[in-house]
Amino acid sequence: MSYAEIFQPQRQDGKMQVHWLDFVVIGAVAAGVWYFYNQVNTVLHYNWDWNTIPIYIFRWDADEGQWVSNLIVQGFFITIRLAIWSILCASVLGVTFGLFRVSPSLFLRLLGRAYVEFVRNMPPLVFIFIFYFFLSDQIMPLIGAEDFVHHAGPTSIWIVERLFGPANLFANFLSGVMVLALFEGAYVTEIVRAGIQSVGRGQWEAGSSLGLSRFKLLRYIIIPQAIQKIVPPLCNQFIQTIKDSSIVSLISIQELTFLSVEVAVSTTRVFEVWITAAVIYFFICWGLARVFSRLESKMAESRGR
Amino acid sequence: MVAPAGVNPHSEISVFRKFVLGRKGQKSPLLDIMMVVVLGGAMLWATLRGAASMGYNWQWYRVPKYFWRYVDGELVWGEFVHGVLVTLEIAAWAVLISVAVGLLTALFKMSNSMAGRVLAMVYLEGIRNTPLLVQIYLMYFVISPIIGIDRLWTGIIALALYEGSFAAEIIRSGIESVERGQWEAAASIGLTQRDTYRYVVLPQAIPIMLPPLTGLFVNLIKHSSIVSVIAIFDLTTEGRNIIADTFLSFEIWFTIAAIYLSMTITLSSVVNYMEYRLRKRSW
Repeated sequence: MSYAEIFQPQRQDGKMQVHWLDFVVIGAVAAGVWYFYNQVNTVLHYNWDWNTIPIYIFRWDADEGQWVSNLIVQGFFITIRLAIWSILCASVLGVTFGLFRVSPSLFLRLLGRAYVEFVRNMPPLVFIFIFYFFLSDQIMPLIGAEDFVHHAGPTSIWIVERLFGPANLFANFLSGVMVLALFEGAYVTEIVRAGIQSVGRGQWEAGSSLGLSRFKLLRYIIIPQAIQKIVPPLCNQFIQTIKDSSIVSLISIQELTFLSVEVAVSTTRVFEVWITAAVIYFFICWGLARVFSRLESKMAESRGR
Repeated sequence: MVAPAGVNPHSEISVFRKFVLGRKGQKSPLLDIMMVVVLGGAMLWATLRGAASMGYNWQWYRVPKYFWRYVDGELVWGEFVHGVLVTLEIAAWAVLISVAVGLLTALFKMSNSMAGRVLAMVYLEGIRNTPLLVQIYLMYFVISPIIGIDRLWTGIIALALYEGSFAAEIIRSGIESVERGQWEAAASIGLTQRDTYRYVVLPQAIPIMLPPLTGLFVNLIKHSSIVSVIAIFDLTTEGRNIIADTFLSFEIWFTIAAIYLSMTITLSSVVNYMEYRLRKRSW
């Protein structure tokens, strides 16, 4: 029995119970809404103009004679691509360092610990700026992302565009993915470590008493059990990545937040643009959270049977 | 040894045994620690060399004057010190407000009032499902002109509302962690709900809440760097301004990172110590 069941008893007849707090809350919310409405209309004299927003979602292209997606939709897709690639790279990093964190070698444990503590104690903004300078100055010329796109044939351009978005922004996108992956990798490391450590000590002992090597022990006994503990928080981390990806707009990665700034500046419809951006983020993250929690309960159900 | 890593935090052994000789039955950790130090040093060296080979001119000697300098024999605090003070000021105000917001939200969420629960849910879902940066922009461009607050308070309130959602969760789980028997016992000796909270629940819940609430303060110091986008003169903004003046990007960013790390790691170890004390007491 939980707290709620003791202190929030439901009425047997199913009717709503009215509490004094209901009146206070409704009154306060109504007063707040009235205050905002009043301020916007009579003090600020803000002219709402929602008609500009749809043009930035889809616009009519006269040359091609069809509707094409405009900045906000483009930003949306870049944000999604950025989050997917980042969480994939972060998972690789996270699994590696997560295994380091539970390794018998103190050296590897210290290495994993240093990575996690470094990232988690650093402000995301500072982290992103520092690594951006490295990426743009040193790593990008080293791997030659710009050259690759310049000399690529139409087929590879087509593939790049499907996977990473506009080809002319490929290097830009790549540095965004790298920074985000390095950042989220630390959180995935902790998820993987917690997952592996959640497997009971008896499992380790049973495995080693069967004479399994450490690799086989992990491969056949520990990881299959840990995966069930790792996947749900990893899904949440994906949502977190979508949210954190807004920060890379500050290093000019052209995702939803960056393009929202551009639209807000060019149209001067500041209120409408920021409300739209917040609503878009809200529905992506909220929708994904609903989907994931449903999948999770399905998974739990199928395991229970 | 196959069991996952982790050492018993309760064994009180000397630093010398811990770091040089190794615990009983274990090999000396000295070699591994040295390897980490060497690797870290190598990475740092590669960074410095790499930048130098790109034609970057390291000028560390220009950094100290941004901490403090002497003008006509008089001590003048530099930009970094001012920035740290503003960062701490933001974090301190924001932690107070976020605890208040969190407490209110937690009480609403646990109340019998339908409207209160809905309001708490709307607030929590709204905050959790949008990026902090977008919340700051929304606050700065939309809310703050409407209610007419200045830049500093816009940043503080945006941060407080963001962290308030975490505070609500900390406070709620702290209160719910008090066992059911305690509530029932309080009810059976005829305590009112207020007295139950005052004498039974809160004395048990508050020690549980304190370490995560301190962690909240650490998070606030970290996240407060994001208010530099609305030009509040915190540590990050001060640093960016210095970079704009001097082009010492690497030196200044490394210095800023070191300052933040020293603040957050110190506080994090306080949190760890508090949790350790709590575990020790409850066992």
